Formats: sequence, C-alpha cells, structure tokens
Amino acid sequence: MWTAITTSILLAASLGSAPREETGARYYVYVTTESDDHVHLIEFDSNTGVARVAQTIQIGYQPTEIEGPHGLAISPDDKHWFVTVAHGKPFGILYKYETATNKLVGQCELGLFPATMQISEATGLLYCVNFDLHGDMLPSSVSIVDPDDMIEVARTTTGPMPHGSRISPDGLKHYSCAMMSGELFEIDAVTFEVERVLKLTSEDSPMSKDGHDGKEHSEHGEHSEHGEHSEHGEHSAHGGHGPSPKPTWVYPHPTKKFVYVALNGAEQVVEVDTEAWKIVRRFPTDKGPYNVEVSPDGKQFVVTYKSAQGIGIWDLEKGRELARLPSSRRVTHGVVISDDSRFAFVSNEGVGGEMGTLDVIDLQKNRSVATVDLGLQAGGIYFWKSE
Amino acid sequence: MTSLVRPFLLLVFVCLPVLIHAQEDSARRIRVHPESLDLKVGETAQLEVIVLDSQGNEEENMTLLYFAKARGSLRVDSTGRVTAVAPGKFKIVIRTPRKAGERVSAEVPVLVRPAKISEITFVDLPSRIFAGTSAKIVVRIIDEVGNERHDIRPLIKSRSKNVATVDTFRRLQAHEPGECVLETDIEGLVETASVRVVANPVRSLELSRPVTSARTGDVLTFNVTARDASGSVVEDAPIRFAVACDPDDRLGEAASGQIDQDGRFVAEKPGEYTIVATCANLCDSRTVRIDARRVQRRVRLVGQGAVKDVHTSDLWVWEGIDGRDYAVTGTWGANGDSIFWDITDPKNMEEIARITVDARTVNDVKVSEDGTLCIISREGASNRKNGIVLIDVHDPRKPEIISTYTENLTGGVHNLFIYDDHVFALSAGRRYDIINIEEPTHPHRVGKFELESTGHSIHDVWVVDGIAYSSNWKDGVWLVDVGNGVVGGSVENPVSIGHYAYPSGWNHAAFPYYNEETEKFYVIAGDEAFPYGLNVKDKPTYPRGWLHFIDFTDPENPEEVARYEVPEAGTHNLWVEDDILYAAYYNGGLRVIDISGELKGDLYRQGREIAWYLPDDPEGKISNAPMVWGPQPHKGKVFFSDWNSGLWAVELALPRGE
Repeated sequence: MWTAITTSILLAASLGSAPREETGARYYVYVTTESDDHVHLIEFDSNTGVARVAQTIQIGYQPTEIEGPHGLAISPDDKHWFVTVAHGKPFGILYKYETATNKLVGQCELGLFPATMQISEATGLLYCVNFDLHGDMLPSSVSIVDPDDMIEVARTTTGPMPHGSRISPDGLKHYSCAMMSGELFEIDAVTFEVERVLKLTSEDSPMSKDGHDGKEHSEHGEHSEHGEHSEHGEHSAHGGHGPSPKPTWVYPHPTKKFVYVALNGAEQVVEVDTEAWKIVRRFPTDKGPYNVEVSPDGKQFVVTYKSAQGIGIWDLEKGRELARLPSSRRVTHGVVISDDSRFAFVSNEGVGGEMGTLDVIDLQKNRSVATVDLGLQAGGIYFWKSE
Repeated sequence: MTSLVRPFLLLVFVCLPVLIHAQEDSARRIRVHPESLDLKVGETAQLEVIVLDSQGNEEENMTLLYFAKARGSLRVDSTGRVTAVAPGKFKIVIRTPRKAGERVSAEVPVLVRPAKISEITFVDLPSRIFAGTSAKIVVRIIDEVGNERHDIRPLIKSRSKNVATVDTFRRLQAHEPGECVLETDIEGLVETASVRVVANPVRSLELSRPVTSARTGDVLTFNVTARDASGSVVEDAPIRFAVACDPDDRLGEAASGQIDQDGRFVAEKPGEYTIVATCANLCDSRTVRIDARRVQRRVRLVGQGAVKDVHTSDLWVWEGIDGRDYAVTGTWGANGDSIFWDITDPKNMEEIARITVDARTVNDVKVSEDGTLCIISREGASNRKNGIVLIDVHDPRKPEIISTYTENLTGGVHNLFIYDDHVFALSAGRRYDIINIEEPTHPHRVGKFELESTGHSIHDVWVVDGIAYSSNWKDGVWLVDVGNGVVGGSVENPVSIGHYAYPSGWNHAAFPYYNEETEKFYVIAGDEAFPYGLNVKDKPTYPRGWLHFIDFTDPENPEEVARYEVPEAGTHNLWVEDDILYAAYYNGGLRVIDISGELKGDLYRQGREIAWYLPDDPEGKISNAPMVWGPQPHKGKVFFSDWNSGLWAVELALPRGE
C-alpha cells in the first residue's frame, strides 16, 4: 500500500495536478445515447457559453435492434476512444475509434452488457465491467483488454451487476461495485486477481468497518433472483444494515488514498479509505445518487441524482453540499469534470421519446450554463480534452 | 507490489527530476529466456524474465505483467508459466507496469503445434465394392488430447493397385475383383484397412421416368432398377446420376437443373432435361420436358395506414369480438407507442387509438386468439425494467393497460408469442420465459427454455400445436414440446424435439409448414443480416439473407432442402397460409411464393414467386425506401408493416384461368 500511495504522489507530481485555472476555452466530451445507438462529440465554448454537437457517430452492427452503447473511455494518448455496446448475440462488444477522425478501427467481443471502463496508464490495458442486468443475479466479471490489438486478455469474476469501473491514479488497482451484492471490489491491475472486497452498508456497523480479503470472499452466487425490484430494474441486494446500498459507481481521489462510492439505494456517497479498507465518511445525498466524480484538483465531487433529476456539488474537505441543481431532463445519469476542474458535464437520459441532454455546470458559480439536446437515453460520458 | 520495490520507488521520489529524465532516455529492456517457445498442445513452459536498466544492470524484484494475445489458445499466469491449449502462432506480452514512456515491453512468440496423432479410423468403409464403381473413403483423425483433426488431408494409398486405386480426393476406384489393403501414414502413425472388390453383377440398368413433362420447381424422383445376368434385381448396386440441360433460353443461360444421388431432380428453367444413370460402364437415360411454372399473379394496392414520423415495427391483425377487423403496430426507436387500427375497410385504414408505455421500442405486438388481449414488448425503458405490457382490447378503440410484467425480463423483450393462455417472451436475447396469463392481472412465470451452448442467443419464438419454434442465430432453429406431448413436454417442462443450424448463424425467424400433398413437414427459417449497415435517417438500407427450407419430417434428422433468396435483398418475418408463403423481404418488399408440393433447390430461380410489392412512400420516415417488416394474410388481403411507412394492405388477383 505504501508503494501505491508513493506512486500516486509521484504521478500526481509529475502530471502537475494544478490548482483550479481556466486553461481552456473549448471543452470536448463524448456522450452515448443508449436507445438510439449513437455517440455524440460535444464541444462547449466557455467564452460564449454554447454547447453544441460537433459530430454524431452511429454505433453497432444489428441495425434493427437497440444495441445500447453504454460506456466510454479515451486512451491516455488521446488517439482513440472506446465505446461498449450492451446487447449482442448475446455478448456485447467493445469498439475502438480514432479521435482524430471518429473512424472505427477495431472491435472485440466481451461479456454480457459490457458497460463502464477505463484504461490504466500503468499497464496500458483496458478494464471493463460486464454489467449483465439480464435477470439472473449471478456474479459477473471484469474484462481486461489489450486496447492496441483489441484482444481480451483476461476476465476476472467479481459480483452481480458490476458497475463503475475505475482505475487508481497509479494505474495499479481497479475498482468496481457489485450493485446487487453491495460490494466494492479491488482488483490488482497487474495480476488480474481480486485483492479485496468490501461489503458496503447503508449504516455504520461493526460489519461495515471491517474489510476482508477477496480470496476469502464466499458470497458469490448466493444472491436470490427473487428480490424486490428497485427502480433500475435490478433486484434488491441482500444482507447489511439499513436499506440496500446498491452501489452504482466508484471514483478514486486523484491524489489521496480514498475512493468515493455512490450508494444509489441508500441516498449516500461514501468515502472509503483504501488503506484501512473501510468507510470513513458518509455524505447524505438526494434520491438515487448514481455517478460520482472527483474534480482533478481533488477539492470537490459532483454526483448525479438519478431519481431526483438533480446534480449535487460537494466540498470534499468540509463534507458539505455546496449546491443542488436541477438537471434538464428526467433520469440524470453520468458526470465528468473538465481537466481544469472548472466545468462538470452531466448526461440526462430522459424518458421514452424525450431527447436526452447534456448539461454543463460551472463549478465556480455552481450553476448550469448550457444544455444541448442529444438522442434517446443519453448515458455514458467521458471527458476528452480542453484547448 | 512486493516490499522489495519500496527502496527503488523511494529513490525515484527523492531524485525525481534526474530519474525521470533518465528513464525517458533510458534503454531499459526486458530479457526473456527462452526468447521464443515451441510447444505442443498440453505442454507447459516457464519464462525467466529480468529487467535491465540503462546500464545493463538487473532491476530486482520488478513486478511484471504477463498476458497472452489469445487466451483461449495459450495461457500465461502472473509468474510467467505458459500452457499451450490450442494450435497456432501466438504472442505473450511481458510488461513493466509504468505509465506510457516509462513502460517497457517484450513479446515472446509462441508456436503451438497440435498434439501427436493418436488414432486413425476408416469410417463406414463398405464391406464390398463392385468392380468398375467408385466410393468416397472417409478417415477420422484424433490427436492425443482428444481433438479431431480436420486440418489434415490424409493421403490414402492402395497396396493392390490392380484391384483398386485412390485419388487425391480420397475417392476409391475399384478395378477388378480381389482384396485391397488401403494404407494411410499420418505423422508416422500408419493405419490400414481392407476392402473387398467383387465382380460387378449388374448387367443392365433401367431408368424409370415419373412423368414426361412437369413445371419448373416440381421435384421429380427417378428410379433405377439394376439387374444381374439372371434378371434379378441387384439391390445394392451403386448408381450415379447426372443431368444434361437443354434450356429453351440459350442466350447465355447458366446450368438450370440439378439431380441428387437419390434420383430427385428439379429444374429452374423451361427446357428439355436428360437424366443419366450409370453403374460402372452401364448407363441409361430419360428426357423430360419442363415448362414454366406460371404462377405469377397481379398484386393491387388496397390501402395504407401511414406512419411517417417514426419507424414501424411488427403488426398483428385480428377480428375483434364486435366482428370488425383490427390491427396493432409497434414503433421502433421512438416514444414507446403502439398504434391500434380499424382495418375493416382496408382502403381506409383508420388509426383509432394509441397506447404509450415507458419504452423506446415496442418491437413486437401480439393479440390472443379470442381477440381480447394484446401483449406488447418493451425495450429501452427508462427504469431498465422493460418486460411486457398486457392490454385489454375488448374494445380496440379504448385499449386499457391491465398489467405489466418485468420479472427476469429486465434486459428487454424483443419478441413474444401468445399461445393457450401463456405468453412466450424472450428475455434479453438469451432464452424464452413462459408466463401464465390466465389471469391477465396476475401474470406469473411457469417455465423457461434456454440452450446450454457457449454464447447461446435467441431472437424469436413462434408456437403452433404445442410446439415452440425458436430462432437462435448461430444455434439455428429449435423445436420444443411445450404442451404438444410428443416428447412429454409442457409449459412447465419444455422438452427439445429437434434442432437444425446452418453456417451463417443468421437465423432470425421460423415458421412451420406441413404440406398435405407430400406429407412433408418443413420449418422455414429466415435470416437477418446487415452486412452493409443500416441507415436510420436518410438513406435506404441493403440487408441480405434468405429463407431456408428445412425438412423436419424426421425431427431427429432434419435436412435443409431448399431456399428462397431474392438477390441483393434481405429477409425478415414470414407467414404461411394455404401453401403460399408471405415473406417480408425488407428492401425487397413483400414477396408471395408458391410452396406447394415437394421443395428442393432455389425456389426464386424456379419461378415459384407469385407476386411482389414495393411500398414506396415519398413522405415516409425515410422516403421511397421500402423496408417491409412483417406480413399477415387476413380475409383475402395481405397486410404488412413497413419500417419506414406504416401499415399496408394489398390484394392478389385471382390465379390464371380463375
């Protein structure tokens, strides 16, 4: 663990994690629209306050079926972007595109409903959760892909409905949540093995304070498929105190030893100390916290409230919600923050034929400054660059 | 990372500017022993890896990342232990986990050879072969790990060349009576088998002609009687058939007839055809006259229920309990609408109601046999529950949602079918669930059917007489007893009857068809394929695929016997009524095909097509881009839905002479 922290500090120092500065006038993010099989490249001009769709790319190979582009990632060298497509025959697919041309250059079949993903700067590999919300709540997996040749090189079993695939700043740990078992998984990005599993709870208890080694974890496969339905078509998690935590996202702090987990079923974001491997702070939120991202300067986190049609901006040091903003459409989904920590970009799904949108939030003024219409069910989102 | 790495990282931290520069300019490298591997399947090897710094000194206790670029064929663990699983040329990557620029990698080429051959078997070698005839020799080759080796083309030699010889295609030609030892040598393993060539007793052949004339597409069976010198019939005489074609059209017409080695012949074009039967140097022939089939009929547009703002998906047409005729259509990539139509007057089809549910696509719509209950499928629901919605259609002008059912259907329902108070609903393209709807307010699952093959998938299910016909992409068509009882199945306990798959893996739809005249039972399996993508906004789409006719008369031995393939178009849904097939052929429009009698060969080329109709609509969702989704004949009209333009009704003129 010491080496991980040291390496984090080392990388942060070498990358020059800067205080908040206005470094860019134009910001670019990619957003998926899951129910019309498109990826949109959005350009936001902070000088004019206008966000626009710069390009729309059609995704998939089964045109008369909704294939569901869900997760996005961009390679560390910015040359390629990746999108996961949820529904195949039956397995989903990872597609690789050039950022310069938005041209398709590779693909690779993964598991059932591949979703969130990120590339490790340390290993150069892409780690993608196979979300598998297809009814039977069995343990699913994380696919590990060589993004150069688009080959799946390993698959690590985790828990039921894994989501929120994120890599530690040193690139050596992978974190994901199992929504239906309420667990946080840590995978060694080098050996591809589950290192630790933390049972997440809605309330502090002796159980919640103790982490345990993943190798001793024996709860896989014990989840009933007859749990009560929740709002996302998923089944209730079992065990633990209070309401089912249903963790939907995890995001590592850019310089510190913490990861932040959205407990969608418990209306909380929790701070997990990755050294002590336990929850150390809880942030009570609005209904349905879904995605969370910590600003690159490490001072704030922004969380989407999926069930409340809102966005929360939190001060990390004070543990206080600075602002709670309405989102422009129902079913608020993903959030990313610009590299200068100045703006947050939030995707909103909408319902039925309602167009999904992207909202741009000014994190200095804590208000929404732009909205752009996209397609049906805007979901996956990834920040590309500012210039 | 091991604790031994800590001093190194601490040093890096303290001397950051110097070391980073040094690393960027460094010639750090990975040295691997051995530099390449040559293994046989099942063998293992250990890679010894060291990392050298720019001065060539070994960096100790480096954590290393290993992976193979074909993990199904070659495995490597985190210690560098390699296991060969399948033959081929592969690479193992070894990498130091550092950020780009500081990371060093090495690749180890690995050649995996197949395991040693352990078993060679001559398969179904005939006990005797008549002199002057030939037979195909089949050899099965198994290696030490139990894999059957299809990559080897064994050379088979005859030790008695005067008795028999074997060519490079492993076809044995029997020359004169005697014992012949066949020998094959594969990688040093030799296997032999004996064949007895006997004198050919056949002295005469008589080819019988079933008719003197027929039509294109008619299947004619030619029989041959072989007799010996005493006039007795030689039952096991090997007969080879051939056909000489003399088509009427000589303007570059290609081969236009075919005959199987069981004597079944079919012609695609009018002309004279001479069937030739041979046995050794004996032969007989007969000529038949084939005329054009002449089944074409005019088709007339009756009406259109236009849907121009969104894409239209499936349809269902039924007679309501008030005696009027109704239809329901789904919508695709839109607002979750189902549209109800009064089609009593097909010239003036009237939209009478809409039901909107939380979905983006209502792909399938079905109505119960008694015309009171409609069930629609949901995909793209905002809460991701999807599932199905049950709608009361006692009065289709006032449809009312009775209930929704989502349990285990959260991944989306693409297709469904109602049969005998149960709905068969696809779950996330993996299986179908069987849901009891005797009480539509309380649907509940009573059974399910799911294949066990790796990567299995399903697209559609159709139920007739207690047998479910599911379409399972690469796993093909599956017939399952869900209440028929032929193999003891029920809705609670579905039991497989038989299945058939074809190489393309495009199986998308299936429809059963029993031909009373021939007593043959076919399942018509439809493809869906988009090799050229789909244009959902502004241009036509060019799908591909065809209809496969699978003879399931013996469900344990299904045989694909015919096809209907419109060039440069692609199939979707289909329907059969009174020996007529109605096929939605996407960009090829609606196709109507005569499937009477025995089926064999390419029905399109045989002139069995009765009619076609292209639903052009300049104001369609995509203008003038026919994309026919599904057909359904009803009371003398043919209704069909079109993806770009809504609901249509056409009418066929009477056959010639009627």
